[in-house]
Amino acid sequence: MSRRCMSDSAHCGAIFALACGAALLFVVAMWPAVHGVVHAEAGAVKDGSADYASPLELLLSPDGTRLYVLCQQSEEVRVLDAATYAPIESITVGRVPRGMALSASGDRLFVTNTWDDTLSIVNTRTLAVDATWQVGAEPSGVVEDREGTRVFVANRISGDIAVLDAQTGAEEKRLLAGRGASYLALSPDGRRIYATHIYPNPAPLRTGLENRTPPASEITVINTQRAEVVDRIPLPSIAGVFHLALSADGRLGMVAEFHPKNLVPLAHLEHGGGFAYTLTLFGADVGKPVEIPLDEMERYASQPFGVAIAPDKSRLYVTLAGSEAVLVIDIPRLLHFVHARPRPASGSFAEDLAASGKYFAARIPVGHNPRGLALSSDGRRLFVANRLDDTISVIDTRANRVASTIALAGPKTVSTLRRGEQTFYSARYSFQGQISCSSCHIDSTFDGLQWDLEPDGFGIDIVDNKMLEDIKDIAPYKWNGGNPNLPTECGPRTEKYFWRSENYDNLQLTDLVLYIRSLPARPNRSRLPGNETTPAQERGEAIFQRTVDRFGKPIPETNRCSYCHSGPHGTNQKLFDVGTRKPTDSGGLLKTPQLTNIALTGPYLHDGSARTLEEIWTIYNPEDKHGRTNDLTKDELNDLIEYLRTR
Amino acid sequence: MNLLGRALVVMPVAITLLPLCGLSSHSDRNTCPDFIVTAAPVYTPLAELQGQERFPNGAQLLLVHEGKAEPLVQGFAATADADVSFDGKLVLFAGKKSASDPWQIWELTLQDRYVRKVIETAGDTERPLYLPSGRLLWAQRTAYGFQIESADDGHLPRQVFLNPTAGPGILPLTYVHASAFPTDVLADGRILFESNFPLGEGSTPELYTVYADGSGVESYRCDHGRGRWGGTQLASGDVVFTHGASLARFTSPLAQEDPIEAPAAEYAGGIAETASGEWLLSARAGGGAHYAIRLWSPSFTSKPGAAKLETVLAITGIDLVEPALITPRTRPNRHPSGLHPWDYANLLALDARLSHEGDVITPPASVRLEVQNERGVVAAMGTASVERDGSFFVKVPADAPIRFVLLDEKGSVLRREKGWFWIRKGEQRICVGCHTGPERASENRVPAVLLRTTVAVDLTAGATRPNANAAAEGN
Repeated sequence: MSRRCMSDSAHCGAIFALACGAALLFVVAMWPAVHGVVHAEAGAVKDGSADYASPLELLLSPDGTRLYVLCQQSEEVRVLDAATYAPIESITVGRVPRGMALSASGDRLFVTNTWDDTLSIVNTRTLAVDATWQVGAEPSGVVEDREGTRVFVANRISGDIAVLDAQTGAEEKRLLAGRGASYLALSPDGRRIYATHIYPNPAPLRTGLENRTPPASEITVINTQRAEVVDRIPLPSIAGVFHLALSADGRLGMVAEFHPKNLVPLAHLEHGGGFAYTLTLFGADVGKPVEIPLDEMERYASQPFGVAIAPDKSRLYVTLAGSEAVLVIDIPRLLHFVHARPRPASGSFAEDLAASGKYFAARIPVGHNPRGLALSSDGRRLFVANRLDDTISVIDTRANRVASTIALAGPKTVSTLRRGEQTFYSARYSFQGQISCSSCHIDSTFDGLQWDLEPDGFGIDIVDNKMLEDIKDIAPYKWNGGNPNLPTECGPRTEKYFWRSENYDNLQLTDLVLYIRSLPARPNRSRLPGNETTPAQERGEAIFQRTVDRFGKPIPETNRCSYCHSGPHGTNQKLFDVGTRKPTDSGGLLKTPQLTNIALTGPYLHDGSARTLEEIWTIYNPEDKHGRTNDLTKDELNDLIEYLRTR
Repeated sequence: MNLLGRALVVMPVAITLLPLCGLSSHSDRNTCPDFIVTAAPVYTPLAELQGQERFPNGAQLLLVHEGKAEPLVQGFAATADADVSFDGKLVLFAGKKSASDPWQIWELTLQDRYVRKVIETAGDTERPLYLPSGRLLWAQRTAYGFQIESADDGHLPRQVFLNPTAGPGILPLTYVHASAFPTDVLADGRILFESNFPLGEGSTPELYTVYADGSGVESYRCDHGRGRWGGTQLASGDVVFTHGASLARFTSPLAQEDPIEAPAAEYAGGIAETASGEWLLSARAGGGAHYAIRLWSPSFTSKPGAAKLETVLAITGIDLVEPALITPRTRPNRHPSGLHPWDYANLLALDARLSHEGDVITPPASVRLEVQNERGVVAAMGTASVERDGSFFVKVPADAPIRFVLLDEKGSVLRREKGWFWIRKGEQRICVGCHTGPERASENRVPAVLLRTTVAVDLTAGATRPNANAAAEGN
């Protein structure tokens, strides 16, 4: 090497070291400053700083003159002129809205508000909120039946669909849907509602390998007249189901979904090693439901979310939230493929990365995190909500290109947190654009899955994916406590073992970490208003805090619930062996997990082997290593769980 | 070739090219981006894959500015294989200071014409390419033909904490007994290279990929057939290559190559894509004509591309090949190596029954690992059970040519892999099947072998004697 090169190396090395140091100092300095500030998809905390609109869903009025834009972060519906895109009105709704639908007559707009569990009823003539109804936990999707008699609301937390009186909002009943029930679509004839859910259903059988079986989801089919579930269309191997669409003739339905590869060691991403992104087609056009891939060999269709079908059934459009693009599929070619190709016994073509070439029409780049879309009645304009750009792409569907971009009113600067959120949701950093943080942390939460990560060895140290809410002060991270802080967790480790490709730079990592640290806990639905507690919760808290067992024998400090699960987050951040080590685990010491919203985050234990909170103690604590619990009665255990659900 | 022989063949071109350049050139076009091209009296595209010289009469790099060609560097007996840095400011090339020298890797700073030797190696080093983050790679002549190697480029500090492959010294990237030449660095960070198919033993040029730490080697596509070489990636992500006497491409949605309706000509491989999407390429009419640099406007829509090749530079009696545009370009992604600090590798096959050539019908009972030693002798390293679902998990020798043979219950060969591949030290590799092709994604299920054990069957210390059975069974 020449002297000149060595000199350059030394010089650059000094600059590099300074840059790293500066970035680290920046992280440390910024953390307190952004305490409690967040605008996640999962939730938002108002902080008085710039409010981005964060458009999530779009709707066109029946006459096509208005475009309704559901703005999640600014918590409003903005009404635009659909021809000129000029703002007409902004309507403030509830906390962190997620879904909206027009009534059958078009005179009311229903908006679900996920953080205050309400439904805003907007008068589309006056563009004002006429009423606000209290509904179930984390209402998401909403539709009204054709007769205008019932409103159906998908509740994400309770995993059901509330049937409401369309005039009064009185709840008539609940219909069990999948875990994380979220999106609804009404059939063109109005006779059916199709519902999806974003988290996989719990494994139904106890085989000892619940955490090693493929995930399963479903489409819940509801008869709108009887308000009854009439079918459940299985979605085997699927975890993460989003919007549905049905063709105008009602013969073809489809859902956007994730097909994770959590049971195979995550050694690399090529050949669909981490995820397949697919649609499941159903209806008369395809016969039995069939899963078709959206991915290609070197380019993935990361995180499909919204789906729309052209009125003439010539094309379908899918927003790829992670790939920052809209995928256009030729429906006649798709149907030809489905019928011409011998169908695998599984009903899935997800393993064929060359399949999409048979029906691919175009891939149109749009903005950050495209989500909802709306197609004009003539099928010529497709509106796409770019959630993290505060823009709407208007696509000319004949040319398959973005004809114009509507910039929503709001801050023109991109804040640190927004940059971090963009990084969180973008798949551009992973090998061939396959995954992002949000592939596994759906809507900044979790995925309900257990993964076999490569660094520990194949089949070793199966780990349950944890929720990201309120995790800023609970270091170390990972189940084995191996990562001392979030920059370590999200930086080099993620680059090597998840993205398998060049990661973000240090400043982007700082933004990302700040965003993750800012994610708050959503409201806990098990707590009563005013910090009241139920008798069961009080009894449960006493068990949680107890120092002697039911026989009067002192419980060693380290074997009390309140010792390990202490502090505001329910963790003392230390490592313990609670007797849950499996033969495939490389060690028994596990970091005490936080209890934040623990009721939502099943399955439990480090490898997800406990399906419920109860199973932690009834099955996986035979020697009282995970706290003294074997002296408790069934009722007492229930009380303990009732208390834990309030954490 | 001995030193005197080298001198005799290189000297004539060094002498004859200089006066030709800029004087006898011909161009149909006045405006073309500046580029560098290798000029040689004789160019035989695939000679080196067959163990011969590409430029038997020497070569010289020309800088073409506004249609006028002049030598890129002075003071060299021979120069070739230009690669322009991502910022458009530096040029890597293979050069010989004197005719008797081996080819070595040099770097030119375009602004001040400063030239430095980048790396000192024994024997010929050719076809250098820039890698991201201060790395470069080249083909090094070895006892097994040319092998691809990589090293720090001497400009940037090594980010060892992020990328263990960026350690000091030279890192071999290929480990088969056959020549391999890098042709491009793909946007996703993989290295595109050409070798013969089947890898390590065949004679048909084929395109392969490998990560920048030498892991993950595989065929780019598995529709093997006629020779494919000279692969270059376009901004669209497609890979264009020479296929026989025409051009073809690999495109992400298709498992097979896609023919390109290019004008009839003999193409020399290695195109350069301009900012406007035109292709600068080397082509000749055939029948003994010389390669000239042409410009062509391709089209992959319903409209065919331009029917005519436009001549940008032609020099009488000289082949002009390997055009490289002098312009900044998008830097590929760096590959963050996840290799473990081991001296062996692990391989998990998810379903060995699956194959691009037809699934194995008879359930395989076991799999035998074969290794090729330094002398090319095949040794069996032992066998491992294959589970009912076709999965097996083995610990294998690293950085050596290996292949697997599926056996039935009686030990008879059900199928033997075509060719050889390698796994890097510390690599943990998963194969969907045996030669399933890149279009086959993994199924989401726990391989049965991992439900039985998480310990790989150790095949690193098997029989070291040559495997007589393997030789007798043939291929």
